[in-house]
Amino acid sequence: MRRVFSTTILSIVASLLPVSAFPLNSKKAPESLDDLMAIQEALQAALPRAKAATVNIDLGEGSGSGVIVSKDGLVMTAAHVSGGVGKDVKVVMPDGTELKAETLGLMAETDAALIRITEKPEGGGDFPFVEVNKTDDSKLGDWIFSLGHSGGFDKDRGVVVRLGRLVRMANTTIQSDGTLIGGDSGGPLFDMDGRLIGIHSRVGPQLPVNMHVPVRVFLDGWDGMLKSEFVGEGPFAEKPEKGSGFLGIATKDVEGGLEVTKVGKGSPAEKSGFREGDLLQTFNGQKLSTRDGMKVLLAEMAEGDKVTLEIKRDGKDETITLRLEKR
Amino acid sequence: MEKMKQSRCALKSADLVAWLAALALCCGTAFSQQSLETDFRTTGDAVLAAFGTQRQVIQKSSAVIYNGRKEIAYGMVVSPDGYILTKASQVEGTSDIGVRVDTELFKDAKLVMTDARWDIALLKVEATALVPATYAPDSKLGQGTWVVVNGATSRTKRRILAGIISAQAREIPAAGGPALGVTLAESDEKLEIEAVSEGSGAEGAGLKKGDVIVKVNGKVVKVLKDLVKLLEDMKAGDVVKVSLNREGKVIEADVKLSAKGELFANESRNDEMSGDFSKRRSGFPRVIQHDILAASSTMGGPVIDLQGRVVGMNIARANRAETFAIPVEELKKLAEGMVAQARK
Repeated sequence: MRRVFSTTILSIVASLLPVSAFPLNSKKAPESLDDLMAIQEALQAALPRAKAATVNIDLGEGSGSGVIVSKDGLVMTAAHVSGGVGKDVKVVMPDGTELKAETLGLMAETDAALIRITEKPEGGGDFPFVEVNKTDDSKLGDWIFSLGHSGGFDKDRGVVVRLGRLVRMANTTIQSDGTLIGGDSGGPLFDMDGRLIGIHSRVGPQLPVNMHVPVRVFLDGWDGMLKSEFVGEGPFAEKPEKGSGFLGIATKDVEGGLEVTKVGKGSPAEKSGFREGDLLQTFNGQKLSTRDGMKVLLAEMAEGDKVTLEIKRDGKDETITLRLEKR
Repeated sequence: MEKMKQSRCALKSADLVAWLAALALCCGTAFSQQSLETDFRTTGDAVLAAFGTQRQVIQKSSAVIYNGRKEIAYGMVVSPDGYILTKASQVEGTSDIGVRVDTELFKDAKLVMTDARWDIALLKVEATALVPATYAPDSKLGQGTWVVVNGATSRTKRRILAGIISAQAREIPAAGGPALGVTLAESDEKLEIEAVSEGSGAEGAGLKKGDVIVKVNGKVVKVLKDLVKLLEDMKAGDVVKVSLNREGKVIEADVKLSAKGELFANESRNDEMSGDFSKRRSGFPRVIQHDILAASSTMGGPVIDLQGRVVGMNIARANRAETFAIPVEELKKLAEGMVAQARK
């Protein structure tokens, strides 16, 4: 009994000690070949796991990076990469496998965002993921490494790694001298124990100026982002304006609903299978009876918003879900 | 209050104008209070002091290449009697090549030969006791392995920079197919040059606006399709013989083909972010890649490991985050082959 007790005390004491075990962080600079080897060995030990979870985010018109932080496919990235809430994007795994994903919430003022992979990994099972350093114990001068799909996905080249130190610390930004470039945005910044401490955001005009969003910014806004909230106003993401959503049908009021008289070519309505003659019943659960009524509802929506419409087709009930596009 | 020009690092066409000026968000005074002194940054003197023995190798076995008094490239000593390897496209067309090794300056270096495929040139200076670096057995360094290069130079001292192997070794295909570097107008089965691209092989060979291309490598070309077909089997760096009609006279010119992508590339946003990059940065059979901050004028020097052995030679500054080097396996063969040929 007594032994169990003392073991408990020991383990409590142990858990109070700093978790980071990387000894070179307590030296102002490496002093010997051994010190240099210690940096190299820590980096190479952490790399395989960190690389496996570093993904490319394919936005169609461009790409950024991100990192998987849970076994079920939650991805941390930058707000200016995800660009909005509820968008369909592709996540490209390091081996080139492309998976469907959806952008969750974002923090527009600090450049933080979450994405969820909505497909299972190839062959099933869990996604490779990295540990998020929630202790917020990184300090100025700590050695770090950056990963990312610089300039876009390149299977032959693989994920690109850069080594550096933390050179500036501020509340919502940390700066390192590990060089970033376009395509790295949203990619992960790690401490030498392979724990995630930040997400790449932007660069300055001088080569060694590279900015990252610290993990604590994400943790502060975590619940809101999980609930797909768009937090803040710019500069890293612009809130879509109300009324900017485009559906792409013409209707007329008839008995028993709204009859679709025309479906626009290439419109979200056409892509989701709308046909002339469909009878609209409800719009996001609200009953539709007049064109003006639907106009009022649409005016409250923005591009990218999800809409569920119940219709009658040939006497049968059907439900169509689609995303509004930019008007 | 520090002002900072910033750029987001996602590749978005919509972001082309995303140089964010002085973002108040992160340029607050809190920054300056928590800033690591320059000496202790990755490129700082205190950190680089740990690489003392590697610096000695760079001091003795690397070279600085000058055009007159201007530094144009770095190089690598490959024999005691004065053969130096460097990046060809940095030294081609220069008339007054000087080479500095350690503290000694050799004037009147001779350009002995070049290899277009790898973009390397062999120079010769009058020397007797230079110290070539030892080659590593291979370049199979894992990602994350330290490497050291010449980063800057004074008359007496080479200052090193250190970094890591940052990506997998691979081929860098030529950016786009081969091109003469001219804009052509096709009319009445005649190919007339409308414009000559700056920095192209066509410009180098003296082709001019108004010239009519008659033959390429002895074959008659009348329409664009003929030319495209001829170039199909060639690659950037190859030289073609072009027969031109200039104001009634037939002129022959040897035109080195350029990579289309490097000739006509609109500067991408990443290029804009990079500031400086090598003119020739694609079309290499195989490279290793590292993360050392470099400039186009610091290409051509050796890349060494912590044991002070050559693992490669810097050949292209691709962008601000990526530098390419010829792997030691290929480099050693090239150096030995070129020197043997030069001695004949």
